[in-house]
Amino acid sequence: MPGARKWTRIFRGITLNNMNDDLQTRIGEAVKNPRNLGEMIDADAVGTVGSADCGDMLRMWVKFKEEGGRKVIDRATFQTFGCQTAIAVASVATEMLAGKTVAEAQAMSGEELAAPLGALPPVKIHCAQLVEGALRSALSGDHEKKPENLSSAPTLLGQLNAGQSSERKVKIVIDKDGVN
Amino acid sequence: MDAATAIDPNITMRELLVQFPGAQRALFRKYHIGGCSSCGFSPEETLTGVCARNENLNVDEVTEHIVTSREADRAMQIEPRELADRIASGEPVYLLDVRTREEFEAVKLPGSHLFTQELMQEILSDGSKTNLFVVYDHTGARSLDAAAYFQGHAFENVKSLRGGIDAWSAEVDSNLPRYHVEQHE
Repeated sequence: MPGARKWTRIFRGITLNNMNDDLQTRIGEAVKNPRNLGEMIDADAVGTVGSADCGDMLRMWVKFKEEGGRKVIDRATFQTFGCQTAIAVASVATEMLAGKTVAEAQAMSGEELAAPLGALPPVKIHCAQLVEGALRSALSGDHEKKPENLSSAPTLLGQLNAGQSSERKVKIVIDKDGVN
Repeated sequence: MDAATAIDPNITMRELLVQFPGAQRALFRKYHIGGCSSCGFSPEETLTGVCARNENLNVDEVTEHIVTSREADRAMQIEPRELADRIASGEPVYLLDVRTREEFEAVKLPGSHLFTQELMQEILSDGSKTNLFVVYDHTGARSLDAAAYFQGHAFENVKSLRGGIDAWSAEVDSNLPRYHVEQHE
């Protein structure tokens, strides 16, 4: 991951206040219609960055395939919480990753991953770093590892998502007399 | 505090949640612990252990917070009648339904939105942090956890509908049928 100095150099002169309208429009469009959003059940690799503060977390799933004798990224998906720019960067970055080898993907900087959006202001650099970090985490070490369950205890997010589980078939029975 | 000392610091998280069902919400609201798998804990961990690996939180302070959290749970609930009155008054209210799609399609509150991953991203990025935001489920248990999750993400005015849509049918709108769920593997 580039040092802070490099990031400052890349994004020098751009502040949140003068974040141009084009950039805001592109971020807005990516957030409204994010590509590759969501957990990939059959992923070959998963990477997570972020602190225990969930608002800062970004997780990326990667699936590989063989193409012309080379192992390339078939597709990548992501999940993140809270930050519009991280969603936008992850959305455009996962689009670009398809077809790249691990080495090619690892060589991509946060700036390159965010390039379709344009230069980001310093206050948003962290968002591109999150995406770069999650990608590197997914591509490093054992590519065959599966998403691991970090905790077996129920979580609030798990409770929030419980209604979306498709494992059970649910039948709704209307009570005739209004009494359960 | 006497009540706080009633919790053994070496209690496992599983036992703690049995004794204090609201403990997980309390931990997430204040310390951002237990919200998702990144900040979660295992049922076998002790409270002391969880505190130690979360920046060495003071166990006494944490236990006192858990004990007093019942009040916070109560404050996070909204009565069906109050919600109906506030909607009728024209106040902007966002209604989030966290039940299954099958339940949502069978019976729902007018104007409510069914929870999806995509919708969650939208809410976290663009949702009003100050307007009334009410989460509901069938009977008001899981929605309390869901509301606490959003509260931990700075939604100031998030509430859980006390008694869920079932209480709404019983107390506000008898035209909305009550139901029960049968599950098949």
